[in-house]
Amino acid sequence: MATKNKWPASTATLISPSSTEARAAGASGPGWLARLLRRKTAIWILLVLPGLWPVWPLVLSRDPTVATDPGKYVLHHLGFTAAVLLALVLTFSPLRIFWPKSALVRALNRHRRLVGVSVFVYASLHLTMHFIYEGGFGTFATDWKKPFIAFGLGAFAILLVLAVTSINPFVRRLGGRRWKNLHRLVYLAAGLVVWHQILARKLFPPQVVWIFGPLILLEIARIWHARARRPKKTA
Amino acid sequence: MNLIKKPDWQLPASAATPEDIFNTPPPARREFLRKLGIGTAGVFAAPLLRGAAAGFPSEKNPAFAAGDLKPTSYEDITSYNNFYEFGTDKGDPRVKANKGWSTDPWTIELTGHIRNPGKHDVNDLIGQLGGIEQRVYRHRCVEAWSMVVPWDGFPLAKLVELADPTADAKYLRFTSFVDRQAASGQRSNFIDWPYVEGLRLDEATNELAFIATGIYGKPIPNQNGAPLRLVVPWKYGFKGIKSIVKIEFTAKQPRNTWNLLAPDEYGFYANVNPQVDHPRWSQASERVIGAGFFAGKQPTLMFNGYEKQVAGLYRDLDLAKFY
Repeated sequence: MATKNKWPASTATLISPSSTEARAAGASGPGWLARLLRRKTAIWILLVLPGLWPVWPLVLSRDPTVATDPGKYVLHHLGFTAAVLLALVLTFSPLRIFWPKSALVRALNRHRRLVGVSVFVYASLHLTMHFIYEGGFGTFATDWKKPFIAFGLGAFAILLVLAVTSINPFVRRLGGRRWKNLHRLVYLAAGLVVWHQILARKLFPPQVVWIFGPLILLEIARIWHARARRPKKTA
Repeated sequence: MNLIKKPDWQLPASAATPEDIFNTPPPARREFLRKLGIGTAGVFAAPLLRGAAAGFPSEKNPAFAAGDLKPTSYEDITSYNNFYEFGTDKGDPRVKANKGWSTDPWTIELTGHIRNPGKHDVNDLIGQLGGIEQRVYRHRCVEAWSMVVPWDGFPLAKLVELADPTADAKYLRFTSFVDRQAASGQRSNFIDWPYVEGLRLDEATNELAFIATGIYGKPIPNQNGAPLRLVVPWKYGFKGIKSIVKIEFTAKQPRNTWNLLAPDEYGFYANVNPQVDHPRWSQASERVIGAGFFAGKQPTLMFNGYEKQVAGLYRDLDLAKFY
């Protein structure tokens, strides 16, 4: 069918797992949650919700500190959401290596592109809000040189390229290996985002640890795992 | 021109504390509240029990009137605070500094190279210095935001005069409180508590240097640094040490907390200077708190607009080097 032609071989299996695999997985994991998360609508709702969150402190609960500098709150919230979603989507594939049969992990891996594109959308909103907050582009001429701004912009540039090349014609044109290599830039983007967050504050912001800590641990485990499985050269 | 027409902190006359109660020393006032059955934990009793009540109502000092400045709202000034003793979020101090942390009574110690060392009760001290006055100052944070604050308090020069420094005194070293029970932020050691700050003696005796005991004609709330808070409006906000317990007159330049944390980013002087950027962000412009969602930024003024009063202090100083 169409799906087979659309995707490089490596991604085809994870996007449309064969029915036997799905059945085997369904038996092991928490069934209802995995079934729910297989649905695109559920993921869509989960991805839109953080964008609506600012309505709570700004309009409903009227948090006085948020009201004092609402632009800053929205700016930080959008950047924070993009960072959390980025860290989250990057855990999907290492999770698949360690729990290949988990229905939940497989459900999440169906939506890697959607979640990945949502990172770009939140990053774009974050950048737009930056210009609103700065009152236009006037301060940009000098500010882009600041490492804090430059690292954020670098991450955004990568996300832009990845978002554009995630549409089907590009995926087809680039082909499996080239597409995959290009999209490995996301790890560089994640590194830039970590540094961007650290530079933004006067003191080290502890949230960086809990946003990216689990991902870093998973990646270390993945590398370890890959090394252990590599056949040793024997004499 | 007086721009404060009907400020939102203005209370009806019926809400005012009767003068005899207002003027009684703290323990008696607490006794009165106990008789009324309002415990110290009572939400409405709390504002009466914090800060130094002496000297109110204060006289406006016409030399430092609002003029063209538009004072930031009381709500904004008291809910957007950097007071890491009570957490690193701007909303933390408003909540956490009012959970059983008592700033009344309060004692300040004067020590070092002075002829009149000793400890003073804050309310007594205010009386001794001849009361308090109101001044409207710009406030510029190193994080590139600003406010306009109507402070109540007394000139620091008066306190220096009372201490009577000897010829050896060249600097003032200010120390804030330590109370790991009440100040949740002090339970972690990301800062070497207590918070410390310093000024050169000639900076301290400049007419602008001020010790605030109030905001908008009311005792200064805990989150803003009750009961004694340094205000040096030509310097970045972090120089304005809160809740001072000790001032030591020293011969050598003291270190200050942010300088100890990141010496390449925060200096001893910390004069507001649009030409000298923070290594990570620009200081050329600032966000005006309360100006609105789409207000953008306004240009930052040299010495925060107080060039006339303080530029002479730094005539021989390379401001890019001594930031």
